[in-house]
Amino acid sequence: MEKFSLQMKDIVKSYNGVTVLKGVSLNVRQGEIHALLGENGAGKTTLMNILGGVIPKDSGEIHLFGEPAKISSPADSQALGIAFIHQELNVVNDLRVYENLFLGRELHKKSGILDAKRMCEETAKIFSKMNVTIDPRAMMRDLETSYKQIVEIAKSLLMDARLIIMDEPTTSLTQKEIDNVFNIIRGLTKDHDVTVIFISHKLGEVVDFCDSYTVLRNGENVSSGSIIQPDGSKINQADLARMMVGKDVLNQQVYEEHEIGRTLLEVKDMTVDNRVKGVSFSLKEGEILGITGLLGDGKDEMVRALFGDLHHTGTVLKDGKQLSIRHPSHAKKLGIGYLPPNRKENAIIKDMSVQDNINITALEKCRRGISLSRRKEKDIAREFIKKLRIKTDSLICKITSLSGGNQQKCVLSKWLNARPDVMIMSNPTQGVDVGAKNEIYTEIMKLAKQKIGIIVTSGEAQEIIKLCDRCLVMYHGELRGELSRDQLTEENIMILSTGGSLN
Amino acid sequence: MQNTVSKQRFGSLKKVVSSNSIVLVVIVMIIAGTFAEGSQFLSFQNFMNILRNHAVIGIIALGMSFVIISGNIDLSVGAQMVAVAAITVSFVNSTGNIVMGLILGILAGCAMSTVTGIIVTKGRVPSFIVTLGMQYIYRSLCMFYMQGGGFYLDKTKAPFYTQISNYMLFGKIPMPVVYYALMFLLFWFISRYTKLGRHIYAVGSNEKATKLSGINTDKIKILAFTLMGLAISVAAIVESSRMGSINSTSSGNAYELNAIAMTVIGGISMEGGKGKISGALWGMLILGIINNMITLLGVNVYLINAFKGVIIIAAVLLQRKDREL
Repeated sequence: MEKFSLQMKDIVKSYNGVTVLKGVSLNVRQGEIHALLGENGAGKTTLMNILGGVIPKDSGEIHLFGEPAKISSPADSQALGIAFIHQELNVVNDLRVYENLFLGRELHKKSGILDAKRMCEETAKIFSKMNVTIDPRAMMRDLETSYKQIVEIAKSLLMDARLIIMDEPTTSLTQKEIDNVFNIIRGLTKDHDVTVIFISHKLGEVVDFCDSYTVLRNGENVSSGSIIQPDGSKINQADLARMMVGKDVLNQQVYEEHEIGRTLLEVKDMTVDNRVKGVSFSLKEGEILGITGLLGDGKDEMVRALFGDLHHTGTVLKDGKQLSIRHPSHAKKLGIGYLPPNRKENAIIKDMSVQDNINITALEKCRRGISLSRRKEKDIAREFIKKLRIKTDSLICKITSLSGGNQQKCVLSKWLNARPDVMIMSNPTQGVDVGAKNEIYTEIMKLAKQKIGIIVTSGEAQEIIKLCDRCLVMYHGELRGELSRDQLTEENIMILSTGGSLN
Repeated sequence: MQNTVSKQRFGSLKKVVSSNSIVLVVIVMIIAGTFAEGSQFLSFQNFMNILRNHAVIGIIALGMSFVIISGNIDLSVGAQMVAVAAITVSFVNSTGNIVMGLILGILAGCAMSTVTGIIVTKGRVPSFIVTLGMQYIYRSLCMFYMQGGGFYLDKTKAPFYTQISNYMLFGKIPMPVVYYALMFLLFWFISRYTKLGRHIYAVGSNEKATKLSGINTDKIKILAFTLMGLAISVAAIVESSRMGSINSTSSGNAYELNAIAMTVIGGISMEGGKGKISGALWGMLILGIINNMITLLGVNVYLINAFKGVIIIAAVLLQRKDREL
């Protein structure tokens, strides 16, 4: 008989008459890595919050390790062996590794003095169980991000967690780090009876690392099963995506033929410290130029320099005229826009409304005499909300109340509002769910048709292949090669970005 | 999504109360004052008294609001006010030219604060430190220049100067109240209806995102300080005219703390990016009414600051909107 770590049956939850979970079930076998999938708003977070004791369920049953469980507070959940690892790391960088592990549960000597020696020993024991070597006395800030994540996992093991829930844990990690974290998780589930629920939007990882999946849509179960199909092959990513959105999106064609005009921008010998070393390229009107590479390739530093956010040497010509860009405000005046990576940190102004965020780049358009006209601001915001189909309750609600995809559309709107002729976008679909992703791609295509020159930097080869007319591949701060649209394959990109060359 | 909807509905009444709690506090205090004191408290004249006595710090609090919203703080305002007043008074005393004296004072005040802003932004030194240093510098230079004493207005050379603050408009409105009203309108307008105002909020809320929106964030922060300088200069003129003198040791003491108290009571968050200029008005009224009530009720004056302390903490507790678990 199969043993289940967790069985959630017919979970119902509603807020003010709006049913968020309409009888959802989740069955997780002991020792497996179970992917919980769904678009934003599908009910994943609500379900996990019920499990974590953050919110109460209306009805339904929860069985943990075969026993009926009553979870009415986060403390209950923790006592039952459930641990959460969130997208944002909960570590204190200024403390040592062992201090982080024992934070709030420090071991004391009889005298009341902290027993550092025993804490270090315990820490080392847990790390050896996990097959990792981290010095318990190392400073947290000196660790790589993946190791920080591993410390968080170790912390949950220290609390005797048997069911670990990881909410999009890999968004800030590189491919190598992701592999590292997963190998360790894999080891834990095999040897130590730990079960993992993994929430992610990256379907590639899900297929690579998980054993089974459950897909939710609009608060209902859509499908669940094993990643390995009965015929021995792995489930198709496109199938998973289709289940999540309810229509075929992953294979949807976004690229459309469009006219490419004269040269708009020329960059010569762009150098940023030792991170970008003499890169030269040009961009044409209506062209979508991809720039990709692995971590440390310098692509993001280069576009930041181009936007005036980093000091650089080299020349930039636009329409044949040499530009001096020493600050983002210069770049904006010269018609260059920049959609930065890490939206929360770099792009949204959290205390401001949707309307104010959209207008922030181009307030001069809303002038009436010496003052700003609220009506003009509203009209502009409304126009973009309609054009980009931004889902929001009102113009004046806080931007943080929107979903990731809609926030990203607001950020895009704010730049379209400034009417740039060159638009740089770094990871334009970061933290955006599958459906909204395609809408953003479509929007980028539309911009290209309006003769805007577009630079897209992304670490996702699929994104580049879908969108770009041409792609530059960078490696250690240098331009490694250039691929035309018909040469754009994942393989070619990988060869160049790992330092190889095409014959 | 659904989560936020439910919160909004559930919290609508609470929201009305909490977003207007500051106004409620003022109303409650006025009612309390009325019952406690009968006719005396509610008189027009008493109100004008309250306003006149707090106009100087109130004007500084308007400038402080911008600095705090932009994510900084200014601890040098009291000492800088004395410096500006000293410059103005000594110029007026030696030339008898009041108009030039006022212009000089305002320019000097704006320049001083601009320098502070430049050191904070270009030198990347926290404003707390820079303005703490500036406080010592201004105060010390004033004491040196005035030899530890004060400057008195030469009433034979510039008889009109004291009228700037002591004149009564229509015979019953003290001029400091008029200046406060004008400054309030100016700062309120900037905060709500200008690009600069919007950018000040943006910088305080998320500086990085604002910079990456193509906005010169350093310039915005410097301009917030320049506006602080304008407020300080006006305050310096009002104060020196009202007193007919300025003293290097006793003038402007703890003005920075009172101005910060007014903004904080008014709901302007020390984190930056949040709060309304009208909050600084409510904050001034609350502090003013407390001071007044205590005097009228004959409470021991040594207790005034204890009441102030309680009110500051209570005001922030009341206005705290989202409590994190």
